[in-house]
Amino acid sequence: MNRLLEARDLTVSYDHRVAVADLTLSLNGGEITAIIGPNGAGKSTLLRSLNGQLPISSGVILLDGQPLERLNRRSISRQIAVVAQEAELRFPVTVLEFVLGGRFAWATHSGWGWETERDLEVANAVINETELSELSARLMNELSGGERQRALMARALATEAPILLLDEPTANLDLSHQATLLTLVRKRCDHHQSAALVVTHDINLASQFANNITLMKHGRAVHSGTPEEVLRPELLQEVFEVRVLVDAHPITGGPRVTPVISA
Amino acid sequence: MNRVTLRKTLISCALLGAVLLLVIISMSLLGSERLPARTSLCALASLGTSACGLTQDQFDILFQIRLPRILLAAAVGGSLATAGAGYQALLRNPLAEPYLLGISNGAAVGTMISLVFFGAIEWTRPLLAFTGAFVATFAVYRLARGRAGATPERLILAGVIVTTFLSSVIVFVTTLMDATRIRSFTFWLLGDLSGASKTLLPVAITITIIGALVLTLHARSLNLLMLGERDAFDLGVEVGRVRMVVFLVASLLVGSSVAASGSVGYVGLVVPHLARLSLGSDNRISIPAAALGGALFVIVADTVARTIIAPRELPVGAITALIGAPLFIYLLKRV
Amino acid sequence: MCVLCLFVATCALVSRRALIILSLLLLAISFGCNSGAKPALDGPVTRELTDDAGRRVSLPARVTRVVSLAPNLTEIVFAVGGGDRLVGRTSYCDYPAEAKAVAEIGDTLHPSLERIIALKPQVVLISTSSQLEVFTQQLQNQNIAVFVTDPHDLQGVFRSIAQVGEIMGEKLRTALLVESLRDRADDVETAVKGKQPVRVFYQVSAEPLYTAGHDAFVTDLMRRAGAASVTANVPGAWPKYSNESALAARPDAIILPTGGSMGSANSDVTEALRQSPAALQGRVYKINDDYLTRPGPRAIDGLEAMARALHPDAFK
Repeated sequence: MNRLLEARDLTVSYDHRVAVADLTLSLNGGEITAIIGPNGAGKSTLLRSLNGQLPISSGVILLDGQPLERLNRRSISRQIAVVAQEAELRFPVTVLEFVLGGRFAWATHSGWGWETERDLEVANAVINETELSELSARLMNELSGGERQRALMARALATEAPILLLDEPTANLDLSHQATLLTLVRKRCDHHQSAALVVTHDINLASQFANNITLMKHGRAVHSGTPEEVLRPELLQEVFEVRVLVDAHPITGGPRVTPVISA
Repeated sequence: MNRVTLRKTLISCALLGAVLLLVIISMSLLGSERLPARTSLCALASLGTSACGLTQDQFDILFQIRLPRILLAAAVGGSLATAGAGYQALLRNPLAEPYLLGISNGAAVGTMISLVFFGAIEWTRPLLAFTGAFVATFAVYRLARGRAGATPERLILAGVIVTTFLSSVIVFVTTLMDATRIRSFTFWLLGDLSGASKTLLPVAITITIIGALVLTLHARSLNLLMLGERDAFDLGVEVGRVRMVVFLVASLLVGSSVAASGSVGYVGLVVPHLARLSLGSDNRISIPAAALGGALFVIVADTVARTIIAPRELPVGAITALIGAPLFIYLLKRV
Repeated sequence: MCVLCLFVATCALVSRRALIILSLLLLAISFGCNSGAKPALDGPVTRELTDDAGRRVSLPARVTRVVSLAPNLTEIVFAVGGGDRLVGRTSYCDYPAEAKAVAEIGDTLHPSLERIIALKPQVVLISTSSQLEVFTQQLQNQNIAVFVTDPHDLQGVFRSIAQVGEIMGEKLRTALLVESLRDRADDVETAVKGKQPVRVFYQVSAEPLYTAGHDAFVTDLMRRAGAASVTANVPGAWPKYSNESALAARPDAIILPTGGSMGSANSDVTEALRQSPAALQGRVYKINDDYLTRPGPRAIDGLEAMARALHPDAFK
């Protein structure tokens, strides 16, 4: 098992509150791990501390065996890519320029330099992969929500980082785009042995795409395992404090979760 | 618009540089005193070694008064436009500008302090101006930070607060103190390029060039920062370091201009906008273009200021505002 | 007043019509109050003079308390013998020495209305350059007479002295003063008559470069002193001047007003004129700035100083 990113007994405090407590997690090559939990469970904080943005109070994060604090910004960015929910588009930028931003970590001179042939190759390849080739010369703010999300995905893929962190990537997408995006992630993991961490509210999507699911509550990882192991009514009720019905999806066979809202 | 390449950047800069040279030469032929064009051009071409038939007075006017003033205008314009471009990229706000954010006024107060307490020592002027600019930048940045970070609205508000407060300080001090020591407030608030000092001019030009170079060398980081600090961080930009560099360099640029010529407004707002509109938002091309464009803008504005009611003079900041404000309104409508 | 208001208020509660009638009554009374009575001045109002703003000002027969709101006017008051009756001056009024003992009421542009009123003057002398339009109205509301005297040239100075002399009731002394000043002025003009006027640049400040324009008081003085100011036709009083034009003007003499209220400021020739004929021949003359910028008796001193500097051979 190729442990690309590991967190051991991780504790993160944010705004004088403990947001993540004693959490242990590992992201392995070829696997998608979904993090699920109620609002305020610390999922986004966890994601933000995994790429080094938030300081940790105790515990350690190991990137390819090395503690995260020892590594510099650029080498971390070459290994970990974050797919954000939205882009701040206050200045006009084309899709290609936007995606090329993902190549920054590979620039030979920090802060300066021009894109190499390789950079362009990679950028165009991921633009194809995310089905944006017809839009590559258009301005980002001319794109629809779904297209923009694909561009964000493309930029993350352009970094060629083996670890992808996705923070609620499907939140603003319609059904078809949700499926497209996660299929992309799945393909990456399968073909390139990347590892992906997906923070999501969509339990059923996670059930279909994730190899592992971690249930978080109050900053702790309360249950981890495969979807079959974790998506059980009693465990879900414990975490979400709502009655659920879990049955087998008629087509895929995996667990399907439906909340039971008594009238 | 196509992607920016090295070639595109070099060509644009070469073109702008050529235009700048042309403007320097042509504006040096204009002034409150008429100089014969052909002999003046000849003297300019000889770089001052030959008078080419100009009288001593004409030669002095051209080389001792006009040319230094034009070069100072170039340095001031280049500095302010570059600083403006840097602030706009860093603060992710197309309206960020040294004058509007109160940074120019901070530099002015700093310079005033140096004139009052260290009047004779000329090099304290840019030094204290830089300090004033930096403190003002810091104040604006801190004021603007709310829970959600420095949103554009908060930033502009913070800037307005700092600007108006410092303007009042300037008026207060200049009214109370002997104006012959620290200049009148029209100097500070509207700019004046007539005092192109022999010692400060080379310093100003050097600072402009160095500042523009340093910011351009961070252009790729700024490109990413323009689209969000968090995203930039994720993609590998050392956000804290780049932010400090931009603040320091921009304060230096603003400080040196204000120490030399008072606050000239709108340059840092309009010129980077025009640069981005015509050449794209990529800072690798828009920062050098802004530097050259800023020099052009202030040279032309100052030529108007010193010829339009000759032999009297107007403050250059009045002209930049008269041109800049309507231009900005037009730009806003386009975008 | 308060009792009346309470009364009105209670009436309002009682009847709206009563309120209206009472309000109208009150208004009529207040109008009546303001138009007639004026607080007592020393003795009855006996004379009316016309000031430089064309206003007819009513003054008591004898003026014992006067406030001056400009340095030149303070000097004039003392010169005509009214110094003992000056009760208020601006912080810039520093001549003669006795003036410094008089109470200060602020500066020329922003004098303290309260202080002025507290000093209970009968008349306040102002020059329109004090920009006191608003104050004028307020002082008049307090029944303090305001007299505007605003000389722009030498003739205006003589007229001003005469006016102040009349206000202070020092007709004889004033007449003698004016005559002696006129004689001195005439002597100067006779001495320089027929001599080639010297081309002069008047430097108000070196950097930024300011000079005296068409409307400046000192421009008139320079003409009478046998100088041809190279900026005599520039519009305005104190224009900011182009360095090039100063250089191209090649003045033969430069006047630096300095040493008075200005202290040691402006004691160097501006950069652009360092190679001028004036600077190269050492014809740079520092003259007390107060002589040249205060339209008062010392303007004659300024006139003489300039004439002697520019035409030394005329005064052997």
